[in-house]
Amino acid sequence: MKIKVILGVVAIVAFSSLVFYNFGNSISTYVDFEGAQGMKGAHVVGTWDDTQEAYFNRETMQFSFWMTDETGNKRKILYPRPKPNNFEQATQIVVIGEYRGNTDVFVANDMLMKCPSKYNDPSALQMQEASS
Amino acid sequence: MNEFLSWSELGFLGKTLINLGFISALLGTVVAALASLSHPPLSKRVWAISTKSFWGLQLASIVGASAVLLILIANHQFQYYYVWNHTSLDLPMEYLLSAFYGGQEGSFLLWILMSSVLGLGLMAWTRAPYRWPVMSVMGFTQVFLISMLLGWSFGDGVMLGASPFRTLLEEMPSAPFLQANPDFVPADGRGLNDLLKSPWMMIHPPALFVGFSMMTAPFAFAIASLWTRTYHEWVRPALPWTLSANVFLLTAIFLGGYWAYETLSFGGYWAWDPVENASLVPWLIGTAGIHTMIIQKKSSRAHSASLFFAIFAYVLIIYETFLTRSGVLANASVHSFVDLGLYNQLLAFMVAITVLGFGFYFWRYRDLPKPKKESSLLSKEVLTFTGSILLLVLGLVIILGTSSPIIGRLFYDNPTPPDIQFYNDWSGPLALVMGVLTVIGQMVFWQRQSWVSLGTGLLLPTIATSVITAISAIMGQVNDLYSITFFWVGWFTVIGNGWVMGSLMMRNPALIGGTVTHIGFGVLLIGVLASSKYNTFLVPPVTESFNARVAAGEAFDEEGFPITTQIESFELQRNQPKVVNQQYMVTYEGYELKDTPRPGTQIYTITFQPLDGRDAFTLRPEVYPMSSTAGTDRVDWSVDPDILTGWMSDIYLFVGGSALVERRNEQIAAQATMNEAAMSRAVSGQEVDASEAANTNGQSMTTTDSVSVVSLLPNDPVQAGPYQFTFTGYEPAQQDEVPENTQVAIRANIQVTHMPTGRSYEVVPLFAVFIDEGENFTYSPSLRIEEWGLDVQFSSIVPNDESIELTVAGLNEFIEEDWIYLTVEKKPFVSAVWLGTFLLMGGFSISIFRHWARDRQAKQSGGNRVNSSDPAVA
Repeated sequence: MKIKVILGVVAIVAFSSLVFYNFGNSISTYVDFEGAQGMKGAHVVGTWDDTQEAYFNRETMQFSFWMTDETGNKRKILYPRPKPNNFEQATQIVVIGEYRGNTDVFVANDMLMKCPSKYNDPSALQMQEASS
Repeated sequence: MNEFLSWSELGFLGKTLINLGFISALLGTVVAALASLSHPPLSKRVWAISTKSFWGLQLASIVGASAVLLILIANHQFQYYYVWNHTSLDLPMEYLLSAFYGGQEGSFLLWILMSSVLGLGLMAWTRAPYRWPVMSVMGFTQVFLISMLLGWSFGDGVMLGASPFRTLLEEMPSAPFLQANPDFVPADGRGLNDLLKSPWMMIHPPALFVGFSMMTAPFAFAIASLWTRTYHEWVRPALPWTLSANVFLLTAIFLGGYWAYETLSFGGYWAWDPVENASLVPWLIGTAGIHTMIIQKKSSRAHSASLFFAIFAYVLIIYETFLTRSGVLANASVHSFVDLGLYNQLLAFMVAITVLGFGFYFWRYRDLPKPKKESSLLSKEVLTFTGSILLLVLGLVIILGTSSPIIGRLFYDNPTPPDIQFYNDWSGPLALVMGVLTVIGQMVFWQRQSWVSLGTGLLLPTIATSVITAISAIMGQVNDLYSITFFWVGWFTVIGNGWVMGSLMMRNPALIGGTVTHIGFGVLLIGVLASSKYNTFLVPPVTESFNARVAAGEAFDEEGFPITTQIESFELQRNQPKVVNQQYMVTYEGYELKDTPRPGTQIYTITFQPLDGRDAFTLRPEVYPMSSTAGTDRVDWSVDPDILTGWMSDIYLFVGGSALVERRNEQIAAQATMNEAAMSRAVSGQEVDASEAANTNGQSMTTTDSVSVVSLLPNDPVQAGPYQFTFTGYEPAQQDEVPENTQVAIRANIQVTHMPTGRSYEVVPLFAVFIDEGENFTYSPSLRIEEWGLDVQFSSIVPNDESIELTVAGLNEFIEEDWIYLTVEKKPFVSAVWLGTFLLMGGFSISIFRHWARDRQAKQSGGNRVNSSDPAVA
């Protein structure tokens, strides 16, 4: 009986540590463009810089635009899919990805739009998947 | 209606009914608790009758309040915030009905209504000693739920609940337009979110809330059991309720998954979204509870586990409700619920339920029956219990992921949601172990087994599984170890449980519920892996070879950097077919426009000609403007995929962009510019050049040359684009169509001819000059020729040479450039996901009937004895 209890406790502790370790690795923190340096799958929050051209390259099927992060850094973003429908309306954009090589160009593997929705109070925001 | 009560009185009635429901739930909880005492003050009968009366009153109030809300919605009483915020005049009746629970307050009301009705059933069918304790616990949960709708204000913005019957004025007391006119009633409401205008909206939420409220029953029985210290009997009545709750939750999960698959472009039926998890986790824990309850019934073991799961499943429903409705997850979910300021109230609810449930549990823990001797490893008790533990572990892992905004703070200040991979990495292997265990468990469950007999019994299923896995792996070109293992376990679960089911069919077909459920689980495993891992994007050969280069790391962009993402969509010109993946010839045939149920819906016709000679088929994906977020100067597009469902695979596609969408965007941008220009400073010589204004508009992303200025002399045709414009003379303008203080107002007769077709239209645009605060303004609204998408504005009169100037938008738009971006996916065996789900539902339903019948049998044979000790109840 005693041995069983000890084994059980050890198993539970080992399993939970493994889950927690893995959980800790699979989440990340929102960063700005400076903080995203050297990171893979960095989540950067910002807004579209509409003074710069945003265009979709029909050859490479890539959409590119400039984004300003929350601390004011501007970077060019490449998104390898057509422009998301709700792009212009987004009050906030989250790009998830990494820098391309040693350049300042950020490749977004994923993009989330926060759109103002009239179903929410004006202060609240709605998150929408980047449904292209 | 109006003859008896005014609309404002009706809203007051609604609020009163909610208050009445709250008070009767509160009093009902107290009197039911008194009725539960073994020697209550007065007589037991008094408290029993009071409980019945208060529950009846509560039910009547809630039904009444729901009816009031429906009447307000159906009659478009937009002075009420909820009605205004979630409905509009153009909604057909079925969506008006579902708008009832389109928002937080209404969905709480639906939940309360379901629980109220359910309470009636519990009161009717539950026997002593559980009847009154169960009603007391039910009442306790209703008190908290109804409190969410009270809308009591304690000053300083401190509120208890948010009433569905609050008026606009109560919602926004400081809004200027309401301060100016407190009786203001908007002409129309904001409407229902376009994504919710779906037939699924009519059944998914009700199924979910029936499941939520039914999950209260096992919780109430568990508390009643701890209360009365009768630990053996409670599972008998609790088990059918738990099974029913599970069937409803599963139905809701299925409906939600199918809805997401069919109408949203997320590309799948499951995304590990927190709101999806919110219904999955209680289902998993409820299922774990069903397993232990069955052991308790059969072997009189696992009492503490059954109690634990029954309590935990409901605690989790409240916890997930807290997560999704308090605004904690606002950043992490596609389902967005507004934070109504119920954070503290939801937290209090969660704490109260947890303390009541687990507090009671640990208080009585030493008192709980413990098995005298341990079961052997190869017993149905140990195996079934292990199944429950695995379900619990899976549930805990998913809770951990969903709670990332809270628990993630251990790691980061501002944590993101976990990668989807986190969920897949843990649920996959756990599901594999579960699959194997279901077969061994079922073998042992129905027949005592030794290791040798078990091994012999498993021999044939194992051989059959291996053969079928090998065949399907070869046919499906599956060659990685994980997938092969996964498919093997899936098939093993199906075949092994099928084997057991076969022998049960001969004994007694009523017993097959469990095996059907487990077969469903196996089918689900096969379907989930096949449809997710072997999902392929169908693309033309150029893209295919490009993607092959990307996969090999040999693709580089113009600046020489490696490209890591494969291209998933392709462009298709109208009537220029492309072959995709050497399987289909895809042709874009054209589009049509439709205004119901969503105005401005574009329906694209895409035909697929299979190259292997099978019949061609046509799919019609849609793109529509979201009326929810539309403004005058922009539009949000939403896509509605189309799916060809097949047994072997589904073809799933959506239009990610099109020439038509881009033209519309340009038109809207151009129109916005012209509307600005229509009210412009004039006379002083500062004419605003509309084309210049359009060029400075940063919103339009491509060409803006669609706005041009055309100068016209009388009766002298001028060509612009494919059109010819002729100015034939002036016409006086009517007084009532011009602004106040107008100095000059005149209309020009313009003949517009589309040269290639020879069709022509007559337009008579207005030009007016008016004075406002001493300054001259021009007023010249543009007129639209719908057929050509052409906007014509009479923008100025040139006094020197009798000519006029028109500003025209949309000149180049009639040139039919017509292309679409298409994303096509082939998803194998999605059908197995649905089939597996149906088998799960069917298996659970068979078990419900079996356990329900047994409970009734027990009631008839043993009921007299139980009731005789409690005459008041009979």
